[in-house]
Amino acid sequence: MFDRRLVFHINWGLVALTAILFLVGVVNLYSASALRVASGIELDSYFNKQLLWGGVGLLVLSCIVLVDYRHFKAVSWPYFILSLLLLLAVSVAGKTIYGARRWLDLGFFNLQPTELAKIAVLILGARLLARMDGRLGWVNLGKVLLVGLVPAMLVVKQPDLGSALNILLILGGMILFKGITAGVFKVLIVALPVMLPFGWFFLHDYQKQRILTFLDPGNDPLGAGYHIIQSQIAIGSGGFWGKGFLQGTQSQLRFLPEKHTDFAFAVFGEEWGFFGAMILLGLFCSFLYQIYIVAMEAKDDFGSYLAAGVFFYFFWQILINMGMVLGIMPVVGIPLPFVSYGGSASVVNFCMIGVVLNVAMRRFVFKNA
Amino acid sequence: MGAFDTPERPRIFSGPNLLLICIVLLFCVFGIRLWYLQIYKNDFYTSRAQENRTRQSTMFSPRGIIRDRGGVLLAENTPAYALALVREDCPDIPKTLDQVSRWTGQPRDELEKVFEIGRKRVKHFDEQVIVPNIPFELVALVEAHRQDWPGLTIAVRPKRSYAYGPTLAHVLGYVARANEEELNDDPDLQLGDDVGKQGVEYVLERRLRGTKGLEEFEVDASGRVLSSRIVTQPVKGEDLNLSVSLPLQEIATKALDGRTGSVVAMDADTGEILAQVSLPSYDPNEFVVGISHAKWKELLEDPAHPMQNRPVQSAYPPGSVFKLAVGGLALESGSVTPATTVFCSGSYKLGERSFRCWNKGGHGVVDFKKSLRESCDVYYYQLGERLGVNAISDYATRCGFGVKTGVELPHERSGNMPTAEWKLKRFGEKWQRGETLNYSIGQGYTQTTPLQVARFVAALVNGGRILRPTLLATTSPDVVGELPMKASTRKLVLDAMVATVEEERGTARLLRREGIRIGGKTGTAQVVKLMDKYEKKKTQEIPYKYRDHAWLAGFAEKDGRRYVAVAMVEHGGHGGSDAGPVVAAVFDALFGVQQGN
Repeated sequence: MFDRRLVFHINWGLVALTAILFLVGVVNLYSASALRVASGIELDSYFNKQLLWGGVGLLVLSCIVLVDYRHFKAVSWPYFILSLLLLLAVSVAGKTIYGARRWLDLGFFNLQPTELAKIAVLILGARLLARMDGRLGWVNLGKVLLVGLVPAMLVVKQPDLGSALNILLILGGMILFKGITAGVFKVLIVALPVMLPFGWFFLHDYQKQRILTFLDPGNDPLGAGYHIIQSQIAIGSGGFWGKGFLQGTQSQLRFLPEKHTDFAFAVFGEEWGFFGAMILLGLFCSFLYQIYIVAMEAKDDFGSYLAAGVFFYFFWQILINMGMVLGIMPVVGIPLPFVSYGGSASVVNFCMIGVVLNVAMRRFVFKNA
Repeated sequence: MGAFDTPERPRIFSGPNLLLICIVLLFCVFGIRLWYLQIYKNDFYTSRAQENRTRQSTMFSPRGIIRDRGGVLLAENTPAYALALVREDCPDIPKTLDQVSRWTGQPRDELEKVFEIGRKRVKHFDEQVIVPNIPFELVALVEAHRQDWPGLTIAVRPKRSYAYGPTLAHVLGYVARANEEELNDDPDLQLGDDVGKQGVEYVLERRLRGTKGLEEFEVDASGRVLSSRIVTQPVKGEDLNLSVSLPLQEIATKALDGRTGSVVAMDADTGEILAQVSLPSYDPNEFVVGISHAKWKELLEDPAHPMQNRPVQSAYPPGSVFKLAVGGLALESGSVTPATTVFCSGSYKLGERSFRCWNKGGHGVVDFKKSLRESCDVYYYQLGERLGVNAISDYATRCGFGVKTGVELPHERSGNMPTAEWKLKRFGEKWQRGETLNYSIGQGYTQTTPLQVARFVAALVNGGRILRPTLLATTSPDVVGELPMKASTRKLVLDAMVATVEEERGTARLLRREGIRIGGKTGTAQVVKLMDKYEKKKTQEIPYKYRDHAWLAGFAEKDGRRYVAVAMVEHGGHGGSDAGPVVAAVFDALFGVQQGN
């Protein structure tokens, strides 16, 4: 079943970029785990764990690559339904951490069904979009959107607005990639901005607060504005060359909150400066470009939409996380791929890469295949 | 090819273009934002990061200590405890102030006021002193409740202490909490600092204070100190050795025996002030801990003005002591020779008015020496007639009368040497000839301080050098002028002063000591023009405030040591009998003469 010729068609550029990004992330986590204390430096174990999760991710990636992505079509519905069931399970029997019910305790690790749901929506979305002809009209748009809205509603209940939004944004990106009819486009471009303010009433107080704080961080410098202000101080004080590895005062002295997760990029920006941050930004853009190439060269629509979905999966995370760290977007708890610490997220990231590699290496129709 | 070969849809916001636009936008927007934060605003954020992680704290420098010329500690620093508040560590300031009020018994609104006034001046994370000088029991109590009141701390600040209290109050002055005005004028001062308010403490504040140091701490987000470094070392204030001798000061104070007045003892050759007494006095220690309102009012309203440092801050008519200068001028100008005589019948007629000599019986034939020895007024009336007011004023000014001495004491008064122009300007009246007569015996408008008299006598004794009196021990006198008197004239004046002590009928005979060359001049300064009704009465029968001031200016010389002592007893009656014993006590102490000799 596995053709050895496939190995030659592996997109090595994407593999290399993934490896570099992951290593940069681990190195940065080493620094983000460090705490300067009177006697020197103390380390938390985040970078070790991240390496472990990276290994797990690599394993999953290998498995995914082995199976031709066209088989995904067959499992797209069952997998989607399984994800919904898990989401329901979480809302009943989930584990509550920080006031949010997001995890299923499986004994050996905490499963976050939201991450599985993202993949499910991506695959099912790609399958539906591939089947549809031409640009999406109202009916088709509604069908595809439903695939995202159902899990998104369940996720919002957890509550995890960030992930729910993420699911819808991934799907939205895929829909735009597919294209919508001029009529739909015209209506949406008017309707969406009009509807946006009504969304305000669905937000929790803390979410409203975050948005207000984003608009005026100085309003509450020690409370909600603290993250935004400290993050910008960290980045801004990095200067051109940065303060050097393990030398960032904002992170080492713990002025920077959530420095190993959501604000890991601020640690990087502080220690590696404009120089390092631009290189990292360049790496991310090249990484996205590689996925774009895969989407272009896929041999069928399904592969193309899968790659586009993965593209948006990463794109939104990078956009929202960096936007937050750089103070041009409100604080939303979305990690930066490969750079922020996170077990489930790392594994899912590698899964996604696996999907893209899968599509890429099977872009040619072999005579004997 | 894939799904995008349909020619009908050349679109921007979908298909491959969409993905490329996303990538380019991502790169551009965040690239520009990174440039803005890290390059354009780098300085701003660098300083913010620096502020985040550093806290500074003042290192206090001890104030210089003050010793007398014998090395006795007069002013030193003792540790004192103050209750202080750190705003940033204090979760509930009003509640904490309530507790402070309960502990100290100070009214709540007063504490609130102290806090509100001070908070603007206190740096972040610095302690703000709320109640200075708390007793040790309270220190223990606060320490025991540290956990309950995290914002409160005990600040240890040195407290100035004056071991000899009132004895040296007018020399040392005192330090007290700097007020709003002083804080505004001097950027080095911080809230809660003590600053010299009077005396040497005030005048030599700069030398005594020292320089504060600055310590910088590196802290983490929870305020834990990780490291510290000293940015500037504190520099201790300069220790001072005063010229004043504590034993002599005590003897002079005792000799004044509670009367209102002053004593100045000076080394004639160096200008060092050996004793500077002003009575009544006050306890400077009360100011250091914060004087109570009632006590302060009491001091201010005391008719004897205990806060007044009389030797430099009070100017009086010099009385007959002034004859030393007028006599000097007469000899210098050639108006008289030592042999010139005047007949004193007990009064001198000027037009219709008769000017009396203090000796109603008259002094008979009076030459220069006798004029000083017996302090004949008529002799000086005649000199005054010949010399004129302006010449006398000019000469007296050159002798240092009516001129500030520049001693290290605050609010020194210059006194006054009147001229005809001065009177016209001051009162709009012409100078009367009779006033010149009064002036020539040191009465009327003329005013001088005891220290000026001492300086003048010192110049007579030390070879004509007018020195700047000093309260600091020194061997190099600061010569500020020359006495306008030839050596021969000085000798005549000094001889006459010695005669005043040594000879029969001299007015200062009780200064006489075997083996010591002592000279003196008495003076009686009229407080008001003597009213007829008091004229024949004894001092004790005249109401206190109308009694004359008693002066005695003397010098003593033995084995190359030369000293000047001036005693001035307010409303003391007569120079010789009232001020004389004080000067005698000073000289006895200086030359080690046993009491009663």
